[in-house]
Amino acid sequence: MNLGIDLGSRKAKFALVQEGHVIRLADHDTVPFYKRYGRLEGEELVLDLAASGLFSAEELEGATVVVTGYGRNTLSLRGARVVSEIRAHVAGALAQTGLADFTLLDMGGQDTKVALVKAGKLTDFVMNDKCAASSGRYLENMAAILEVSLAELSSHWHDPVPLDATCGIFGESELIGQILRGYPVERLCAGVNQTLVKRVLPMLRRFPSETVVLTGGVAHNRALVRLLEEATGRTLVVPEHPQHNGAIGCASM
Amino acid sequence: MHRVGFTTTIPLEIVLAAGMTPVDLNNVFITSPHATRMIEEAEVDGFPRSICGWIKGIYAAVVECGIHELIAVTEGDCSNTRALMEVLSLKGVETIPFAYPHDRDPAGLRFEIEKLMRRFGVGWDAVKLSRERLGRIRRKVKEIDRLTWDENRVSGQENHYFQVCTSDMNSDPDRFEAEVDAFLEKARQREPFRQRLRLAYIGVPPIMTDLYPFVETLDARVVFNETQRQFAMPFDTPDLVEQYRAYTYPYDIFHRLSDILMELERRKVDAVIHYVQSFCFRQIEDMIVRQKLPLPVLTLEGDKPGPLDARTRIRIEGFLEMLA
Repeated sequence: MNLGIDLGSRKAKFALVQEGHVIRLADHDTVPFYKRYGRLEGEELVLDLAASGLFSAEELEGATVVVTGYGRNTLSLRGARVVSEIRAHVAGALAQTGLADFTLLDMGGQDTKVALVKAGKLTDFVMNDKCAASSGRYLENMAAILEVSLAELSSHWHDPVPLDATCGIFGESELIGQILRGYPVERLCAGVNQTLVKRVLPMLRRFPSETVVLTGGVAHNRALVRLLEEATGRTLVVPEHPQHNGAIGCASM
Repeated sequence: MHRVGFTTTIPLEIVLAAGMTPVDLNNVFITSPHATRMIEEAEVDGFPRSICGWIKGIYAAVVECGIHELIAVTEGDCSNTRALMEVLSLKGVETIPFAYPHDRDPAGLRFEIEKLMRRFGVGWDAVKLSRERLGRIRRKVKEIDRLTWDENRVSGQENHYFQVCTSDMNSDPDRFEAEVDAFLEKARQREPFRQRLRLAYIGVPPIMTDLYPFVETLDARVVFNETQRQFAMPFDTPDLVEQYRAYTYPYDIFHRLSDILMELERRKVDAVIHYVQSFCFRQIEDMIVRQKLPLPVLTLEGDKPGPLDARTRIRIEGFLEMLA
């Protein structure tokens, strides 16, 4: 049995995998999770997984732990094998989709990664590195300003209001300006979703392939899927557990 | 001795022939323990945030070390240098423009070199002597470079350091030569490094401080520092004009690429790290680099001095794992 852990900026995600089958998935908000169950011993992060109650003692006893994510970059996790995020996400997409040739678009809490996979092997990748305006956090901020739920925000793609600020925070005042102009909330939501597409398109165009596998929490945004399909003309595949893709990848390696 | 600052490699031979102390302001900036504060000071003085950190660092270095005379490279390097020169002349710094002709025209380059010689009151005989003096040091640094890729006895960081220092010979050629000699003796007796992946580092020298040691923890080593090696001018050239024509950095990307391609093959490089400075025109050239190089390329962008940020570390790890 393998336990994969993906320590993301917004959520810590867990996947228990046995012989290629996902037994159980779990997640926890990152900051409270660290506060309650994490501590530093020297340079090592120690996670009290037993106390978190996410897994039984038997499960933890028998599991090999593989970890990835932003948290692992500055810290090493005691008793775990650490792998890079890119590798974990590609492994997750391979395990979940069974595809061998695709472009992986992973949109998480802050990171957006685009990786080209050929014959099951990672051949090139790009990542956002200066701005997180194409991430889940951006969507959360915009939903808060529009006073709608993430689910509501993620359901509108028709006739998007143009929003062009390159910065996610300046984007907030631009959105407020458009609210004042009286656009309906549906079109404003669609506009927010459209900005994500505009920001990831150049990265996607760099790696042309027939199929795009979309993972990360943002993959739950149905409007984004629709808008991306329209903009790229490519087939979009969202695996069954997009948000747990990195954790599943860890557990599958 | 009278100190003369400069903004990027210029014919050092002339400054030394004139009996003056050359100061590469890039080196002053990046080796300062206050490098980050220097950038902030330049911004407080009015430099835009969206201008390359090296320009701001050079500006602050001039102010901080009290440089009164500055050779500014107005063509062949960053075009922002022109405005930097103007701002500094307003502050009372005497500025001397130097331009590398874009087409590498020998007559044009000779004209610029002789203009600089007139400015410093030196003739060709003195410059030739100075060139021979520096040539001896350059050959030794070339040997350090050979020990890096041929015998694997020199780390990427050491290679970077010795080559980058040749731009002004650490302001003191004799002392620098003694340092080179001592290092050569030590390096020759070392056990070779065993990292599996051989990397090339191309682009301007990194503004981040720990790239080389970080890469080495991941079973990889830089065996080719492109621009730094250019600073060291390891070419067999008949005279000063040809020496600065063979130098690739200030000319077009294709001249640079022919040198890079040759060295990638000679040094059996597995992959390339292309460093680009935020807000630098050379970022555009990344498109050409990616198209023309036959190896995997990781483009890294840096803005301000300091250690690698978490995201850049993730990208380097991912890249090296991809190659494994």
